[in-house]
Amino acid sequence: MKISHSPRACNRLPVLGIIALALLFIFTSCASHNLPSLGGQPGQGALFEPENGTIAASPEQTGEGKPLFGGVSSPEPVLTEGEALSLSKLEALARQHNPTLAQAKAQIQSEHAKALEAGLYPNPVIGYIGEQISVRGTVGEFQGGFIRQKIVTAGKLRLSREKYQARASAAELLALAQMYRVINAVRMQFYRTLGAERKLEVQQELLETAEDRQVTVQEMFNVGQANRADLHQTRVLRQAQLLNVQQAENDLAMERETLGAIIGLLQPLGEVTGKLEAPLRHLVWEEALERLLAESPELAAAHANLKADEIMVQREKVEPIPNLFIEGSAGRNFEASETVYGVRAFVEVPLFDWNQGTIRQAKADWRRQRNEVRRTELSLRQSLADWFRRFRTALQKVTEYQNVILPQSEQRYVTRLKSYRADRETWPGVLEAQQDFFHRGLIYIDQLVAWRQAQVAIDGFLLVGGLEPPAGVVPPGHIDSVPKPR
Amino acid sequence: MKKGLSRRQFLATSTAAVAASALGGRDVQGQESTAESRQKQANGPDSAQSSFSRYSRYHPSFGGPPESDHYLGKLVPGLRQSGLPPVPFEAPDLGKIPWRMVGGVKEFEIRCTPVKREFLPGQFMNVWGYNGSLPGPTIEAFQGDRVRFVVHNELPEPTTFHWHGLELPVQFDGVPGLTQDLIPPGETYVYEYDLHQTGTFFYHSHVTMQESFGMAGFFIIHPRIAYDPPVDRDFGLIFQNFFISPNTATPDSMAMNWNWHTINGRSGPYTTPLVCKHGERVRIRLMDFSPMQHHPIHLHGHTFWLTGTEAGRIPPNAWVPRNTTLTGVAMAQDFEFIAFNPGDWIFHCHMTHHMMNHMTQQVGPRIRQKVDVSRYLADLPNRPPVESSLAQPAFEVPGYPQKMQGMEMNAEAMRKLNERRETRGMRKQWHEGVKGLMTVLRVLPEDLYNRVMHSEEAIQPGEIFEAVARRK
Repeated sequence: MKISHSPRACNRLPVLGIIALALLFIFTSCASHNLPSLGGQPGQGALFEPENGTIAASPEQTGEGKPLFGGVSSPEPVLTEGEALSLSKLEALARQHNPTLAQAKAQIQSEHAKALEAGLYPNPVIGYIGEQISVRGTVGEFQGGFIRQKIVTAGKLRLSREKYQARASAAELLALAQMYRVINAVRMQFYRTLGAERKLEVQQELLETAEDRQVTVQEMFNVGQANRADLHQTRVLRQAQLLNVQQAENDLAMERETLGAIIGLLQPLGEVTGKLEAPLRHLVWEEALERLLAESPELAAAHANLKADEIMVQREKVEPIPNLFIEGSAGRNFEASETVYGVRAFVEVPLFDWNQGTIRQAKADWRRQRNEVRRTELSLRQSLADWFRRFRTALQKVTEYQNVILPQSEQRYVTRLKSYRADRETWPGVLEAQQDFFHRGLIYIDQLVAWRQAQVAIDGFLLVGGLEPPAGVVPPGHIDSVPKPR
Repeated sequence: MKKGLSRRQFLATSTAAVAASALGGRDVQGQESTAESRQKQANGPDSAQSSFSRYSRYHPSFGGPPESDHYLGKLVPGLRQSGLPPVPFEAPDLGKIPWRMVGGVKEFEIRCTPVKREFLPGQFMNVWGYNGSLPGPTIEAFQGDRVRFVVHNELPEPTTFHWHGLELPVQFDGVPGLTQDLIPPGETYVYEYDLHQTGTFFYHSHVTMQESFGMAGFFIIHPRIAYDPPVDRDFGLIFQNFFISPNTATPDSMAMNWNWHTINGRSGPYTTPLVCKHGERVRIRLMDFSPMQHHPIHLHGHTFWLTGTEAGRIPPNAWVPRNTTLTGVAMAQDFEFIAFNPGDWIFHCHMTHHMMNHMTQQVGPRIRQKVDVSRYLADLPNRPPVESSLAQPAFEVPGYPQKMQGMEMNAEAMRKLNERRETRGMRKQWHEGVKGLMTVLRVLPEDLYNRVMHSEEAIQPGEIFEAVARRK
């Protein structure tokens, strides 16, 4: 840019100084809004290694010391055919392959991007001006350029950035919640699959019992102690039990498919290994509720959004404070045959639109979000009540099955076996006790699975549904300025 | 007694037989020949005309036409003399209630008590009885005695005493309400009356469910002088039934079927054999105190004469010869016979379901591989695979298997069975054929009898049985 010495350019040096200062401010402002905390890779790493709210380690993980979210960057595990899968391995696979985690991560990146964009300083306007062309036969009284810069006031950019950073925090918490959903879902499905494996074994034992009964009744038929109707009935019962076995096989296959889907693998899964039984841990309702309300990622996300809405109110309140527009120009005054300079400054006067509607909307959104926090608390409480009921009932049943029902049923079976050995019991009587023992085993497995699932849910802040889309950051109805976030 | 055979002649025959037996020689048959020749001489040519008129206490023989006193040994006396008091009554596995004379009255003290009775080795059942025994111990008295019974009710519920078959003052008949008030728990009641009858009687609770629970016992009233022909042995057996479900030890007194059968409170083969000497005259008193089951009682190897009922002695001209006698509920049957046939003779109720205990269907592993269920017990959650018994060719025959598989007894149970003196020298597996309402009559030559019952000499399983068989 060439500086003229036009007579119109009165007091040029101060003007040039203003322009230089303005440009310096602009660039320094831009530099200051580069969000160095995001490190150029917003959303990566920090979310998946949270300082708070880590998922409780599974029994299989205890002592391994793996970060629960660290699997994202670990090399992909290789599944060999028929490989027995432990829970820790399944969790690692899920961390790598479940698509909802990638979605959650993308949502974080999106919010961080909004924060970046919202805090960027407005670009200057540079233009060319040709005025009074042909006056007195000249090419124009003024031919030159200008540069215009909006000076943002009242910390609007800072507030906008903070607002979206708060939303990014909410996104991170929701991503954490999604991680819980995925891991919880893996664990629940793991126990369901484990239970299905054991139930298939029991159903196969029951098939043996049904076949034994068929042989027994045939033996009885041979000595006149059973008739043809009895024979038909045993065939019916045996075939019905065969169907039970087939159903158990189907159940197991589909439980494995479901497990694979939750993990995000299309590859067929083999046998899972682990234990359904574990030390029975009693939970106190008040303690569980207190922990949930204190540590729930969902509730924390709601609080983060509430903070964003608080900032949003502040942001919209400062919106009417006019920004300053400064414009500097330089060119040739061909009439005077000298280089001239110009300066303009203007502001928008909030005479009619002082953003009063948007401020009201922001306040309404803030009130809404405040109630969203309350609603989330109550929803968690309601959900916890449901899971706690399941947990308590299942725990009671598991306890009684372990302490009384299974041992007594087993003892009944043993007693009849020994009686049969001593010629005091009939073999059909033994088979009846045997069948009861196996049936009790089936119920026990169901209760173990129910207990495990409820415990996973309660330990995991009730976050279930590993393939549900991750929750969005912005609740419905919120201001979401596009393309320039505000 | 038939006129043609005087009592003196008859006794001469038996005395000769006793003398021959007393010689202790193993050739009993040879000695009997001597006795027979003497008998011939005593009877003269009439009795010698027909060989079938002879009766031998040592060999199977006919004894003459049905009108003969010898017919099937009807009035053939035992080795004991006439005119003596009766031989003591003997009920195997049961005791007797002691008495004391108080003011000229025989006073017995009886307690009604819960009882644990070992029906089979190791199988203790919860029943009720008297003085800790099921059936109750025997009351033994004589015709003409005045008796007093001091009854203590140590049961948790009221009871009464009925004296079955006795003709006594009504106030002592023991029918609740009708003749007396129930004896409350913890209370004592006294019965006292004179005995003018003789025979096989019994006492029992007159509360129905208590009867089903086993509360009964023998009441034997002897004549002062034993009836002729005198017997050498006077045994008594009480038959009872109970329904005891598998895996419990308490009878169901309301049940309508019965799966445990006892003789004097034990089930075969735990019933103690009746042991007598070859040639003795034996009386056996049967009493059926089953709740609902009559018992056709069958004795192998001998024919016996019914000589009495629960009402008392039957006149000899009304005696009936039998091998099997049907003893009904609450009935007694006395029968007598000459133990002419040495050996171990089963003596049992002939109802097939009474010839076994706690019957079970013969299906399951025991007929598939003849294995026990240890492999099931070894791994309860994983039962062994099913064996198909039907692949066995025998299953092509409808009705197979019919055999009641033998009860497997452990070493301790076998020890209990064979530690009794009465079972010494029986065949090793003798217990397999003695089940339920069964016991054994052992008729032993005197030398073998003495070895079994009196000597401390070691006797191998089967040794006595084989010795008897060899002598035949």
